Amino acid sequence: MPGISSNDEERAAVATSVASGQPVASRKRLASPTQRRGETLLLLGPCALYLIVFSVYPLVASLVRSFMDYDQRSNTWNWVGFQNYSELFSSREFANTVQNTFTLMFAGVAIQVVLGVALALFFNQQLRGATLVRGIIVLPMLLTPIVVGLMWRALLNPEWGLLNWIAVELGFGHVGWLSDPSLAIWTLVLVDSWQWTPFVFVIVYARLQALPQEVFEAGSVDGANWFQRTLHLTLPLLMPAIVFAAVFRAIDAFRTFDLVYGLTNGGPVQSTSTLSFEAFQNGFEFQRYGYASAISYVMVIAAAVGITILFRVVKVRRVDVAT
Amino acid sequence: MSARTFGRIVSYVVLVLIGIIGAAPFIYLLILSFKSRLDIIIEVPPSLHFNWSTIKANYDEVINQGHYLTYVKNSIIVTGISTMIALVLGVPAGYAFSRLRFRGSDTWSSTILSFRFMPPVAVAIPIFLMINWVGFANTAAGLVLPYIAFTLPLVVWIMIGFFDEIPREIDEAAMLDGLTRPQILFRVLLPLARPGIIVSATFGVIFIWNEFLVGLYIISQQDKETIPIAASSLLTVESPIEWNIAATVGVLTVIPILLFSMVVQRYIVRGITAGAVRQ
Repeated sequence: MPGISSNDEERAAVATSVASGQPVASRKRLASPTQRRGETLLLLGPCALYLIVFSVYPLVASLVRSFMDYDQRSNTWNWVGFQNYSELFSSREFANTVQNTFTLMFAGVAIQVVLGVALALFFNQQLRGATLVRGIIVLPMLLTPIVVGLMWRALLNPEWGLLNWIAVELGFGHVGWLSDPSLAIWTLVLVDSWQWTPFVFVIVYARLQALPQEVFEAGSVDGANWFQRTLHLTLPLLMPAIVFAAVFRAIDAFRTFDLVYGLTNGGPVQSTSTLSFEAFQNGFEFQRYGYASAISYVMVIAAAVGITILFRVVKVRRVDVAT
Repeated sequence: MSARTFGRIVSYVVLVLIGIIGAAPFIYLLILSFKSRLDIIIEVPPSLHFNWSTIKANYDEVINQGHYLTYVKNSIIVTGISTMIALVLGVPAGYAFSRLRFRGSDTWSSTILSFRFMPPVAVAIPIFLMINWVGFANTAAGLVLPYIAFTLPLVVWIMIGFFDEIPREIDEAAMLDGLTRPQILFRVLLPLARPGIIVSATFGVIFIWNEFLVGLYIISQQDKETIPIAASSLLTVESPIEWNIAATVGVLTVIPILLFSMVVQRYIVRGITAGAVRQ
């Protein structure tokens, strides 16, 4: 994608012209401020209004309900103050859920970043059939999550699953992939990595393809071998893309729900329950709407922190590009 | 054999391995869908001898007796309408964020984008109660309304990037001709932004086609279920799963999305990298 760098230059050029205070000629003579406000409203209003009703309102409603308790029998909501939150923070199950979520986040993302970068470096050579294989490995992240769960439950089936058979043939014996409480969360990490390593790969690979070729040629003239060039030249240049992919994945892994639902249903003995799943179960299965809202609000706040970091990363990159 | 040739051979072996790891789970599911319930348990690993009548029986049970076509129809209606409306609302917003500077425009755009990362459970319960309250439970509208909201941030995000790539001089020339902003968008820029619209639509379609967390509780009537909702109800039955049927359902669920992604493949890679490489 050589076009990317030229677009960046163009944007940088626009930025400098704005910064140097040269007004874009035509904008000034156009339309009065009122008319411009009208146009903005026309273009933006419907989208904003829609999101206020279907995203902002639900978020506010969740916040309010996290301070309430739903009584199923009388179908009423009672104000309970911080009771849901105090129950939450003293609950061992919640602590366990937080731990699972962080395991999935940090272990999963670490594996995906290492493998994704390795894949990108691997595909940075001329191989026949590479395009086909690249096409295949993009597919897992597009699959219906519920079917991904189904596939892996078949592969890992303790009686006839293919992976289980391979484990036995290799002398590992029967592995309790999904039935062993200390192992199940790692099985989840494995499947999550199968599905999402390609995401890191695609982003890092696109960045790699956009790097100017001269950088590498200069490196080989200096007599640096492949390993040295990768470590000192390629990886630092790829770092912005790697960080972006990692933060993006971490936020997504933080709210993992589908995979848990399809693969383990939180079990065995809640050993794979994530925050999303815990909120879902309390809300929809036990009708504890208030408690579930409190869990999801802890998530919203944590996600907001992650999003802020992500946008910082994006901003940093914009400056990198401009200089 | 020189080190170089050896290196090439290793590279090709690794390439094949990567392909196998990527495709094997799907191929395994496909093979299981060709087997009878008993064969799945007996043949470990499954043999590659297939019996046409078994295949026919599995697929006949899912397609003809299992209402598969109803689910596909529901999925197509819900996905189509939601994606369309999300584009109609999101494309002008993306254009506005790309071109117009107004008070708080950065804050507004970041806020909209941040919805893309919000945990769906955080809004699922209020949305569920809201949809029930207006009486849209068990209707297509009950799914379409929240799905638009889930897709919009993605559309806006992708479209800002694509509009940013279109030179502003085009807008300026059109303004000299006396066109207003909305006119410029609809008459001049839409054709130029077509790749962006296709990318947005592609991701909208994939996301909505796969969604089931919210759908699961809005839809409780079998004839209104979309494909993933129907597939998930099959999975959650804790009694022993009929694996031949489950595998067939799995295959039939992902085949439409696989076909679709093959058609739009180059847009998918562009969409994934849009956020990363663009900004």
